[in-house]
Amino acid sequence: MATPVPVLRLPKGPDPNSRGFDPNSPRFIALCRTSISSSAASDTDSEQLQKEQHARSVLREGFLRCLLSMTNKKVQFQMYENVKVEATFGASDIDVLNFQVSDLHTPIGVQKEALIRCQDVISFTFDV
Amino acid sequence: MAMRQTPLTCSGHTRPVVDLAFSGITPYGYFLISACKDGKPMLRQGDTGDWIGTFLGHKGAVWGATLNTDATKAATAAADFTAKVWDAVSGDEVLSLAHKHIVKTVSFTQDSNCLLTGGNDKLLRIYDLSSPEAAPQEISGHTSAIKKALWCNNDQQILSAADDKTIRLWDRSSMQEVKTLTFDTSVSSMEYVADGQILVITYGKTIAFYNALSLELIKTVEAPAPINSASLHPEKDFFVAGGDDFKLYKFDYSTKEELESYKGHFGPVHCVRFSPDGELYASGSEDGTLRLWQTAVGKTYGLWKCVLPEDLGSENPEQLYTSTPEIKA
Repeated sequence: MATPVPVLRLPKGPDPNSRGFDPNSPRFIALCRTSISSSAASDTDSEQLQKEQHARSVLREGFLRCLLSMTNKKVQFQMYENVKVEATFGASDIDVLNFQVSDLHTPIGVQKEALIRCQDVISFTFDV
Repeated sequence: MAMRQTPLTCSGHTRPVVDLAFSGITPYGYFLISACKDGKPMLRQGDTGDWIGTFLGHKGAVWGATLNTDATKAATAAADFTAKVWDAVSGDEVLSLAHKHIVKTVSFTQDSNCLLTGGNDKLLRIYDLSSPEAAPQEISGHTSAIKKALWCNNDQQILSAADDKTIRLWDRSSMQEVKTLTFDTSVSSMEYVADGQILVITYGKTIAFYNALSLELIKTVEAPAPINSASLHPEKDFFVAGGDDFKLYKFDYSTKEELESYKGHFGPVHCVRFSPDGELYASGSEDGTLRLWQTAVGKTYGLWKCVLPEDLGSENPEQLYTSTPEIKA
């Protein structure tokens, strides 16, 4: 009677809350270009790198606070193909791929609930 | 004492897995990408099956997926009429290449500079990834939807299989058809083994091996059931095949003898591929799962642990699983 080969554990499944690609994995840290390339990429000037990191944190925090303060406010989105729409902002998904909005005013009517694809958005404005 | 194969089930997809591909061996191991009808191709660590990330962006079933050799880029072909190129480290979409119909297959050249695509518009397209705005080169000739296209002979030639029951060999520089193989029935899969220039083709219950340069038949092997995909071991001692009877078959390549068959999947097997080191093979099925199978059953590798007979009684039962519980999606 053959015994099944033992295994240490089962393969890890997807994380329901994220699309993965852990930025703390050794591969990511070694290979990933940041979208705005670090000026100190080649030489290791740690002071300049720190300044740049600080600036990145400030910008990121600002962006996140902006999303928070936009909640339930009327926002105008400037999109590609000269499209301008207005909607009440609900929330963003974790990877900033989609914005959930309500009462989206479009040239063909008002959509009660909609998802706006972030890659289609050039800019957005709202009154604080 | 004989050991029984324990397949490792990778869950996560919610619809049939229709294609899978391994990368080459990188300093971080090797990787596996799976194409699924749920539109969300996934990247996994090749030797363990651990999920690394999901490529989000396609709006339709993903029919084909591939990785470049060092697993820094991925490409996918989908029913939303696009082929997409991704950064396989960050998961970000890098390029979206619009087509005029469902895209079924994608393949990188060895230097990752060009991408070959094919699909239901019956055209082969070559994109220069360094100038993606430029129009792709197009190769026409097939009279039906293309299901698989790949580079061969050091990226100097292209092999394509289509629903018109032909496999065609094209010269890349002249864009001309060099040779054609015609079959009585549709070819279900095609794999190119660069080292040795062997082409593995499946149709009906047959697994056929051809010389990839001359398209001369080397041998054919009959399986007990209709086969959807087959893969030759890097050392060319075995090949594995899977198809409509849900089982995985392992054959000796030289003697053509069926060595083993494994049950495990709950639906037809759509794709099977050996890992680049030949230590395991992965299968994708209609049941929405990927399964990893050991080539040498009982060997310590990845998540499989070799246990000597005298250890089995005393081993802490919490540390080792002896059978994987089957969870249906």
